[in-house]
Amino acid sequence: MKQSSSVMRRNFSYAAVLGLASGIAGLTNWTVPHRVQAQTQVAANDVLPVLQRCFQCHGPSLQMSKLDLSSREGMLKGGEKGPALIPGNAEASPLYRRVAGLQQPVMPMPPVPALNAAETALLKSWIDQGAKWDSAGAAPSTASTAPAAAAPVVRTPYGVYTERQITDADRQWWAFQKPVRRNPPAMSDSRWNRNPIDAFIRQMQDEKGLEPAPEADRRTLIRRAYLDLLGVLPPPAEVDAFVADAAPNAYEKLIDRLLASPHYGERWGRFWLDVVRYADSSGFEYDLNIENAWRYRDYAIKAFNEDKPYDRFVIEQIAGDELDKPDYDSLIATTYYRVGPRVRFREKNYPSYRYDYMDDMIRTTYQGFMGLSVNCARCHDHKFDPITRMDYYRSVADFWGYVEYDHPLAPKQQVNDYERIEKQLAEQIRPLSQEVARIEKPYRDKQKEQQVQDALKKFPPDIQLAIKTPEAQRTQGQKLLVAQVLIGGDDVNPDDVQVDVHASAKAKARAKADQVFGVNDYGKRGLKLNDADEAKRAALQAKIQEIEDKLPPPLPVADGVRDGDYRLSPDGLGDSHIPGTGRPTYDVKCCFLPAPGQKFEIPALYFAATGEDIKADERGTLVEPGFLTVLSKGSPVLTPHPPSRSDYVSSGRRRALAEAIASQENPLTARVMVNRIWGWHFGRGIVATPGNFGKMGMLPSHPELLDWLATEFVRRGWSIKQMQKLIMTSETYKMASAFYRAPDMEKDPTDVYLWRFPVRRLEAEAIRDATLSAAGTLNLEAGGPPFFPAIPLSVRADQPRGIWELTKEEPSTWRRGVYAYIKRGLKYPMYEVFDEPDLNVTCERRSVSTVPTQALTMLNNEFLLIQAQHFAERVEKEAGKDPREQVKAMYRIALSREPTPRELDTNAAFLNRQRQRATPQNASIDEDKAMRSALTDLAHVTLNLNEFVYIE
Amino acid sequence: MKHEPECNCNGKSRRRFISRRDLLFQAGGGISGIALAYLLGTDGLLGAPAAGPQACVGSAGVTDSPFLPKAPHFKARAKSVISLFMCGGVSHVDTFDYKPALTKYHGKPMEGKGEVLVRQGYPGPLMKSPYQFKQFGQSGKWVSELFPNISGIVDELAFIHSAQGRSADHTLSHYEWNTGSIIAGYPSMGAWLTYGLGSENQSLPAFVVIHDPRGGPFTGSAQWSSGFLPAAYQGTVFRSAGDPILDLHPSAGSLSPEQQRAELDELSRINQNYVEKHPGISELTARISSYELAFRMQGCAPEAINLDDESDETKRLYGLDNKVSEPFGRQCLMARRLVERGVRAVQLWNGAVVNQNVDTWDAHNSIVDNHGRHAPEVDKPIAGLITDLKRRGLLDETLVVWHSEFGRMPLSQKGIGRDHNPGALTVFMAGAGVKGGQSIGASDEFGYKAAEQIVTAHDLHASILYLMGIDHKRLTYYYNGRNMRLTDVAGELIPQIVA
Repeated sequence: MKQSSSVMRRNFSYAAVLGLASGIAGLTNWTVPHRVQAQTQVAANDVLPVLQRCFQCHGPSLQMSKLDLSSREGMLKGGEKGPALIPGNAEASPLYRRVAGLQQPVMPMPPVPALNAAETALLKSWIDQGAKWDSAGAAPSTASTAPAAAAPVVRTPYGVYTERQITDADRQWWAFQKPVRRNPPAMSDSRWNRNPIDAFIRQMQDEKGLEPAPEADRRTLIRRAYLDLLGVLPPPAEVDAFVADAAPNAYEKLIDRLLASPHYGERWGRFWLDVVRYADSSGFEYDLNIENAWRYRDYAIKAFNEDKPYDRFVIEQIAGDELDKPDYDSLIATTYYRVGPRVRFREKNYPSYRYDYMDDMIRTTYQGFMGLSVNCARCHDHKFDPITRMDYYRSVADFWGYVEYDHPLAPKQQVNDYERIEKQLAEQIRPLSQEVARIEKPYRDKQKEQQVQDALKKFPPDIQLAIKTPEAQRTQGQKLLVAQVLIGGDDVNPDDVQVDVHASAKAKARAKADQVFGVNDYGKRGLKLNDADEAKRAALQAKIQEIEDKLPPPLPVADGVRDGDYRLSPDGLGDSHIPGTGRPTYDVKCCFLPAPGQKFEIPALYFAATGEDIKADERGTLVEPGFLTVLSKGSPVLTPHPPSRSDYVSSGRRRALAEAIASQENPLTARVMVNRIWGWHFGRGIVATPGNFGKMGMLPSHPELLDWLATEFVRRGWSIKQMQKLIMTSETYKMASAFYRAPDMEKDPTDVYLWRFPVRRLEAEAIRDATLSAAGTLNLEAGGPPFFPAIPLSVRADQPRGIWELTKEEPSTWRRGVYAYIKRGLKYPMYEVFDEPDLNVTCERRSVSTVPTQALTMLNNEFLLIQAQHFAERVEKEAGKDPREQVKAMYRIALSREPTPRELDTNAAFLNRQRQRATPQNASIDEDKAMRSALTDLAHVTLNLNEFVYIE
Repeated sequence: MKHEPECNCNGKSRRRFISRRDLLFQAGGGISGIALAYLLGTDGLLGAPAAGPQACVGSAGVTDSPFLPKAPHFKARAKSVISLFMCGGVSHVDTFDYKPALTKYHGKPMEGKGEVLVRQGYPGPLMKSPYQFKQFGQSGKWVSELFPNISGIVDELAFIHSAQGRSADHTLSHYEWNTGSIIAGYPSMGAWLTYGLGSENQSLPAFVVIHDPRGGPFTGSAQWSSGFLPAAYQGTVFRSAGDPILDLHPSAGSLSPEQQRAELDELSRINQNYVEKHPGISELTARISSYELAFRMQGCAPEAINLDDESDETKRLYGLDNKVSEPFGRQCLMARRLVERGVRAVQLWNGAVVNQNVDTWDAHNSIVDNHGRHAPEVDKPIAGLITDLKRRGLLDETLVVWHSEFGRMPLSQKGIGRDHNPGALTVFMAGAGVKGGQSIGASDEFGYKAAEQIVTAHDLHASILYLMGIDHKRLTYYYNGRNMRLTDVAGELIPQIVA
């Protein structure tokens, strides 16, 4: 008894959590017969409404645990756990045991909501009476959602899929309706009637009975604006000038100036990098460097600095190469595809990886740009939102054509010249390399023979015997052994030598990466030659080197994408070949990259394919590119939009998707972005789940404001900066944070309705940048390849894969945090401890946790201690040796304000105490040193203050 | 009794230490910030560079921390879990999953199993284990000669022989057994546990990871990541040399303890003023208390792993007297000290990826060379850990799980090694009231695939959570539009484990 009641409680709470799901078709409108009694004869049609509740997971469209309950045969056959039905014996039938909670351990089915007692009893009677099916043969298609005729039949590798029908009711969800622009409410108060944002905010406060805070003082405002827009401290002189500026538009001028600063993009581009799960390495086992990822990082920074219209920004990232007139930036933008987590290890051999990358692209693109978790529909129709599994696969089809491609970032002529030189040099090298191979051949053959001999010695007798046994006489087992042992030797045909003119540069780069940790499992052993041959070889190699040196420096490239046939991708970094692992064979028609004039088709994409089993995948229905049904008027199929260029062959599928996303007609895109902008300014979006505008997301706190902002965004040409100026010049934004009113606190403790400006902690990068700007050591070198922040050797040694240069704390590593190398396998400890998001998925919003390990970093990390010294030196230089002047200077630099008299007294007293402490008794007093030490202590304290790391 | 405890039994005391200070805090309903600093400071407690164990247990005085203890869903069998992760892939058929059929069919192709996919090269023929198996304990458990010490405690262990993973890739299968997903970006089990239960100790990290001293495992911190959970719940790495935690102390000479204490007092005072200016924002208060906890941690973390006050007998028990077993022995002994101080989750790693073929269990090249090297590293320490936990009465409230990312092929690789095999692997568990001496599930006659009662990572995680008092279906976190779980939408309790 006790057991089952706890089960019911659990079911209940689970159902409550998922209560929002009640819109799911088929879950709400079955009818349950009430006439059930133990002795009543139960027909299949009676029990069908109950059974149908199992179909969402164990029915025609999805067979979790390989179980299909939509037919009697299916129940008898069962799934992974054996038969589900034993006719005549409910107590022994797992189907009944599961729903009745009899199965130990308890696994309530269906998970939400549970069957009630009447339904369970009905099922029991039906099974006990022999589970007669008779007329219920039509079970699968009688789902209560839509007439069966309307649902197209879709083949999957595993059976038939019936796509959920998207109804008008589904389209009623607020986020699927176009934003409606309402006039801002009229406010009589002159403070709140100037900016439409304020009118919406103030009206809501009125409704909730909240009184807003007064405007913050000027010092607070300039500090807030600086940290918010640039992520660095305002120089004290600018603070003074702003405080003294009597012009009515002083604040507006400030915002304009900050928005025009090149350092603005360094902060706001960083926010964007969170959305696109940016990193400089690929993650997984080898964590390989993504060589030109940083160009994308710079592209994002530049896009913000130049206020690139957001619709264009969207299109460039998804389809920058497919534009009619692409430019370097739009090509770099497609690095978007490549900065995600990638295995980069013989991927061609494992097509399932590619489907995972598609999932990464779908997740990042839809959550990032449109706030929808389309990726939930990979294996089944979305459980909460009207997104079907077919929608998901149509989206896969949109992306399906892309292959990784390094776009040269140079004029066509220069590219051609370079390729010509490359080819010429290769021709010069070829005979030399062939000669080297010829010299090496006897040694190679001997080495191979030696390997066999070694094998004979090293391996157990049965292997030796297998090798010695003539091929014809070997047993099956011996054949397997010999095949294993003898593969791996290098069979080199000197006439067939591949020439790589970049070989030595690559070898150097590799050696650099492997320094200290130079372990490569798949490296080749060197050959030992006799002196004469060695001399010959060395001479040849010197000549080769000489020719290689003539190669001009490589042209810059963007690690981007274009359309092609992924099945024919050449080997890339990480594609080490292990003998015996052939790639799957395909019936491939064309070419890796289609040439102009060549007929090119994107490889076929089959519904529900996973890449796990190519043959089975092909049993699915062919899928056309498309957009989400719920957002499509009429057919969701997208018409591709290829570039109008004769010299570039591309399907135009990605561009069609990009244009659908960046369209003014799309109800989500503008809303999602203005909501992000709002959230980055206030710490919380109007929709508090910026990556989810679906049924499981939060509802907007200010729906009318959100819609007004979204329409305004489009009206203003998708200008992010204009929206920011609008937001930052609002009274809402200018409110004080140091404000408290008990009734407000009681009614709205988390400040959802913005009755005061919400304080928020700086992110990891900004804490570092602010520290450097206080110390006066910030290195403003912008853009270019990343720097490696200093970490202890032990941290690197623990995670040796990929690249990481060990550096010291010195100006070259004191660049802005956005330029630090971001490595999936090795997070910079200071960032990691300060809530750096997971780098593998799009980040909805960063968490802000407060834990002792952060305090340890701020207290003890060498970076902080060194910056505290520099900060102290700066203060001494600017304020001289008077402790009170020093305290004042420190406050002005780090906190943008004067200390209060009490603060001045106590901090000066602290300096005094620390100075005495630093002066050992009877030691020859080095007063300067002691003072510096005390000042460093106070500097260190200041960098640790809440006031320092919070935007107020 | 063979092993008479000679310990000073600090550990037993984790619920008994109630000092004057603790009473004060409890009576006051929690004091934070400057008051805490003041009280502890004047008590001379925080000033002590190496705080005694009394100062390093419990949550007294802490009002605002993500790690405050939280009530489980139901009565927990265990308070702490220790995961012993053997990185690289332990061959089940050469250790705990005895397969006489391999001897019988040695050298013959494996037939009737469909197309066999191996990670490297071509599949070889079946290969018998190079090791002898014998039966041990009351349970008569077959164990190979690789584990002479663990074979002595088999009656404490529950073996699962039918564990099965989804990927033959090291990294992906590491993810699977640690996070339930083969894709990166999901929270580890330790993160879920500390998110769900907090910690019994605020002076130490709630989830501690101790590397193999040779280096980290595949993809490192991704294996103890907090994924989409708040970052606070990620595992904290304890280093095997020097300070256990990165930046635990300022580098030598840069800041004296007195200087630092003075700074902290000043910091706390100013921060307190700031809080008064911004009332009702708990983050700000939490940040003040995080500094005091950090200061405590500076004393408590080194104390927690300082093995000096362990008796020679204890050290021998963990194999510290032997160069081969010393490193993992130290890790195991540290783990015991951490759980007796209330740390919620500890993960120990054997195997470092720097020198993958040698320093992990990745025995492609030779079972004898590889497993012959690694088994003696862990055999005595693991047996010692379980024995020690038991004699201290800690085994009942500690769950020990031994696992690896996959098993290895029953086939030979070049006649002497074995390739990856996610189809079957062996896991064992001890403690938490789990019935010892049992073998759960079975792999097929060759150990190629799990055959009876297949146990997935989700099933294992669900069962571990259950033993920790958590219903895996109710431990959720809202992310990506739904309430995510460690066990996704799957996971069944292993009945014999939770019985």
